Amino acid sequence: MSLLHAVWLPNEPQPCLGLWADTWRVAKPRKHEGLEAPQVHPLALNAGDLTAWLQEQGREPKTSSSIELQLTLPSRSNGLPLMAGETLPKTVEWWPWRVPALAMQPAEASSWLGALPLASAPPELGDDLRWWAHMQRWVLSLVARGRWLPVAERLEPGHVRASWQPLLNHEEDRRRLEDLVGRMPAVVCAADTPGSLGCRRPGARRLQIAAIAAALLDGQLRQGFSADGEGLDPLLHGWQQALGPGDGVLALKDEDSQRLISATSHWRETVAGQVAPARAVLELEAPPKGSELWQLHFGLQAEADPALRQGAAAVWSAGDGSLPLGEINVPKPSELLLEGLGRALVAFEPLARGLDSAAPTSMELAAAEAFVLVRTAAAKLRDVGVGVVLPPSLSGGLASRLGLAIQAELPAQGRGFSLGEDLEWSWELMIGGVTLTLKDLERLAGKRSPLVQHKGAWIELRPGDLKNAEKFCAADPPLSLDDALRLTATEGDTLMRLPVHRFEAGPRLQTVLEQYHQQKAPDPLPAPEGFEGQLRPYQERGLGWLAFLHRFDQGACLADDMGLGKTIQLLAFLQHLKAEQELKRPVLLIAPTSVLTNWAREAAQFTPELAVMEHYGPKRAATAAALKKALKDIDLVLTSYGLMQRDNELLGSFDWQGLVIDEAQAIKNAGSKQSQAARTLARPSRQSRFRIALTGTPVENRVSELWALMDFLNPKVLGEEDFFRQRYRLPIERYGDTASLKDLKARVGPFILRRLKSDKSIISDLPDKLELPEWVGLSSEQAKLYRKTVDATLEAIQRAPLGQRHGQVLGLLTKLKQICNHPALLLGEEEVGSDFASRSAKLMRLDEILEEVVEAGDRALLFTQFAGWGHLLQSFLQQRWRQEVPFLHGGTSKVERQAMVDRFQQDPRGPQLFLLSLKAGGVGLNLTRASHVFHIDRWWNPAVENQATDRAYRIGQTQRVLVHKFITTGSLEEKIDRMIREKASLAADIIGSGEEWLGGLELKQLRSLVSLEDNP
Amino acid sequence: MTSTNANTTLSKAGLGQQPWWVAEWMELINSYRYKKRLERAWIYAREGNVLSIRFEGRRVQARVQGTEPEPYKSKLWLDVLSDEDWDFVLEALSQKARWTCQLLAGVMPDDIERAFAASGKRLFPFKLQEVRSECTCPDKANPCKHISAVYYLMGDRFSEDPFVLFQLRGRSRAQLLKDLAERRRQQNQSGQATQSIGAAPPDAAAWWSYSAALDPNLVVITPAMEGSTGLDEAGDLPLAAEPRFPEANQLFLERLRQHGTQMGQMAMVQAMAAGSDP
Repeated sequence: MSLLHAVWLPNEPQPCLGLWADTWRVAKPRKHEGLEAPQVHPLALNAGDLTAWLQEQGREPKTSSSIELQLTLPSRSNGLPLMAGETLPKTVEWWPWRVPALAMQPAEASSWLGALPLASAPPELGDDLRWWAHMQRWVLSLVARGRWLPVAERLEPGHVRASWQPLLNHEEDRRRLEDLVGRMPAVVCAADTPGSLGCRRPGARRLQIAAIAAALLDGQLRQGFSADGEGLDPLLHGWQQALGPGDGVLALKDEDSQRLISATSHWRETVAGQVAPARAVLELEAPPKGSELWQLHFGLQAEADPALRQGAAAVWSAGDGSLPLGEINVPKPSELLLEGLGRALVAFEPLARGLDSAAPTSMELAAAEAFVLVRTAAAKLRDVGVGVVLPPSLSGGLASRLGLAIQAELPAQGRGFSLGEDLEWSWELMIGGVTLTLKDLERLAGKRSPLVQHKGAWIELRPGDLKNAEKFCAADPPLSLDDALRLTATEGDTLMRLPVHRFEAGPRLQTVLEQYHQQKAPDPLPAPEGFEGQLRPYQERGLGWLAFLHRFDQGACLADDMGLGKTIQLLAFLQHLKAEQELKRPVLLIAPTSVLTNWAREAAQFTPELAVMEHYGPKRAATAAALKKALKDIDLVLTSYGLMQRDNELLGSFDWQGLVIDEAQAIKNAGSKQSQAARTLARPSRQSRFRIALTGTPVENRVSELWALMDFLNPKVLGEEDFFRQRYRLPIERYGDTASLKDLKARVGPFILRRLKSDKSIISDLPDKLELPEWVGLSSEQAKLYRKTVDATLEAIQRAPLGQRHGQVLGLLTKLKQICNHPALLLGEEEVGSDFASRSAKLMRLDEILEEVVEAGDRALLFTQFAGWGHLLQSFLQQRWRQEVPFLHGGTSKVERQAMVDRFQQDPRGPQLFLLSLKAGGVGLNLTRASHVFHIDRWWNPAVENQATDRAYRIGQTQRVLVHKFITTGSLEEKIDRMIREKASLAADIIGSGEEWLGGLELKQLRSLVSLEDNP
Repeated sequence: MTSTNANTTLSKAGLGQQPWWVAEWMELINSYRYKKRLERAWIYAREGNVLSIRFEGRRVQARVQGTEPEPYKSKLWLDVLSDEDWDFVLEALSQKARWTCQLLAGVMPDDIERAFAASGKRLFPFKLQEVRSECTCPDKANPCKHISAVYYLMGDRFSEDPFVLFQLRGRSRAQLLKDLAERRRQQNQSGQATQSIGAAPPDAAAWWSYSAALDPNLVVITPAMEGSTGLDEAGDLPLAAEPRFPEANQLFLERLRQHGTQMGQMAMVQAMAAGSDP
């Protein structure tokens, strides 16, 4: 896959933005030494391909020109450039490369950048483009807020360039510049002057980035600026004309240009200083003990890191030289400080008194002056580009406001506490980190001084403070567990308008809070009595968590990674209820049709005490009465999403104790009928029922899908859908708003438990290779075809002469295995239709699992023994995932084979799915980048399967490998599986000979082997 | 006294309120006894007869269109301070950091003469006679109306840059700042010694990656608050008005404001559409 990048070209006749792309291909390394000109980047798209590719993506610029640029890129010592996402080799060299690119003028560049996504990027866009999108967003904001002035600058003697310059004096804009500088992917500024060869390193960034912002802003503001010179003198007229579209060059007489330049630069300086690495800073210090006078210290502060400061004494000592400040060097520091103090004088007049000495380093302020500084002047000073540092208790943050310090504990009773229950609690008023009583507050307010000292700290009292405190004291409200959960979830939550600064929970409450906020795993629960199997420690914690939320009547979403045993944990939970005699009514479990079989099998294996019934098939109960009758003494009812929707009213008529949805992503579209039906079932009119959702996808990262899930689990948490869309979804999805995302995660966090198999610190007891049997059924088309084929062929075999029988038996086995894969395979279809997946239960299940694999960014090998199936699957998967899926089979040439393997192993953006035929791909290859292996159909010999599995599970593998083996229940495949597992009872040489021995089976044996069993 | 006459007229011509040091300069010329000549000089200044004004080193060179086809060449200069005098001035200037602060921020400190008092000299000429001048016109009187016209316009140029007066007295901005920095350094030897730090080597791991989220305050693009655009804050353009186009500065600023409002609205529309692209 190709990846698009954008680079700034400051040195073209006009600065412009260059687009280029790289793609993985096999390239032959060449040494740089001895070359006269840089090499052409071997992995870059050429001009034609680049244009065509951009057109395909709908991202081609309106106007651009083809150029060749030169980029310095990190490169391997063997002479190849590194690509984004590649693992870094031990030694990185820096070499220039010639790269074909499309260049855009700033005006076009800013409108092109404005169309880029701001949050999650599509896979064809490099990370650097998101940096550019954020840069353009900032420029738009500068334009919207009018943070610019037109200026004139000297270009060369006799020439002046008129341009629109951004004003970066506001605190927030300075911070944004620093953010963009500090986080810039260096490739943004990797362009060199062509014609040079040698290892280079990038230079100073701040000025470069400020220049980029300036050029983009200039490009935007030039558009549509009219050149109507009516009523202007020649100088202004010329300037105005040059500010319109074009290169901005003004031909002026020397004296005029001198005047224009100096006037505009002074005009600009009154608002904003130059873009410098540091700024003047004023630091306020509270009066020392026994004094009333505050200290104000002068100094310089690094723009990049406000914590880096240097006092004025050091600045004056530096004279006309430079001053080190952290990692940066500040040139002409004293001029910078003096100029900053000059601007500070305008915003804060008392400063003049402090500047009457030769080399002032600090001054004293009266309390009233200090208050003016804290309340009003600090903001003004920051806006003229002067830093202000205040004592922590006065720094204006939330902590400096009047709030509460709370102590609370659960009432001392045994278990049964509920959310609405009142806690035992006490509280104190708190401000600036110190506590005080209402009396203290009254006394301090009586002083009529806005800055008062209490318990050694200086605090600022605001007009409404006393009133709010009095109101709160008069109300003395109760505190419920619900309140406690809310107040401890996010910072800055308030109780009767007072922010909670400190929340101390007693030991019992603390345990509940920690478990609720998942700071601490809930108490693990051992496998309940009657559970046939072992729970791993993390599964015991999962069980404990399900039981914990159940106690509070809160819905829970268990979102463990694939392979960690969500099914087992849920079954253990049900068994736990049963063992505690709390399971009084049946529980309804809704799952995709493709996994119903799996559920039935695992329930039978692990929880034989649970009475399980499937609500499925034509014979299912059709009336409320029939259903009630059928459910007598039943604990768990399994049904599919389809039937849940079709029989919604019927199922809704029954009083379930709980509702479980498996593969909960099935209800992600809140508007779909399926999702609505599931959510209706979750909200009974009579008794409450518990709600549990299971999913292997990272739900908490899919904002758009969270609402429906939470509406199913705990409807109050995220509110109505419209509110959710406005408050969370739009800000997060469109603009990647982190504040909203953080808030959202804090809200839903308590209800989602997700553990990753890669997290070895949490899950230390899993083997490195996990085998997961995937039991699947047959679609009705498959079942019909299967039976027809068995009947017809057995009859033919019976009549066939003995010599042909052998071949016919093997032919039958092949056909049946093909049907288990997909009917299309037997019918010889070559096209993949729109209903392709739904015709095969196995493919539907495969598709569900692959969704989790692809979403997680994992890579997978898929083995099949049928080349024909491989080709069909290849086109299906490529359409489905819109990515290339290579297929390595017997007909693949040696060169192609190597290229596929190299690409899968090395290309940072290589394919995630790799299809291989069992014969051609089962041996000799090293594919350790895959962490999933799928055996789509079964082979008689486990050694052959294991050998294939070992393509991924071998030296060099750093992840856990999940091996998925598909088994179609009731069919030939299940019997093959049983045989493989009972291998010990079969002679090894029989198994070793593949399918040959099957040809000699008795007809009776053959029939029992191939015929479809109805009820597994 | 009719001496305020010219000054008032000048104000009406649209120059707005003058900084105090410009007003002081104007007062000096208005103290001239020959009021008729001043009035004619003012008309010259207002009607654009002064074709050019250049600060060449320590002198002001101007071309003024008189009655003859070829413009007259006028020169104005002040007595330059000797190096010894400057030593005294710099010593005094360096004693109050505020003076440099204000000059750097584009403001002439109102007590600046106290720094010059140390040398017994002044920054501003005390009497009109201290402003030396020459003109190629046949008029024997000095200052002639051409010089006086230049004089009027110069005051306005001072407001563009307070360092101009220092330059006329013999020290450029760069020289001045360098000398002052050196003096402060000498007086403050106690601080740290400076050292330079080389550039950090590039980080190959950070070459391509960017994982930051959009600044939460850029999620919604907001318009300027009342009176808070750069144009509002910068105020009047410190460019001396050409007398023939008295409204030009205001007109130009008005056009900039209109353009800004329009572009700001467009930016918000664009911002709203952004991110919805596939």
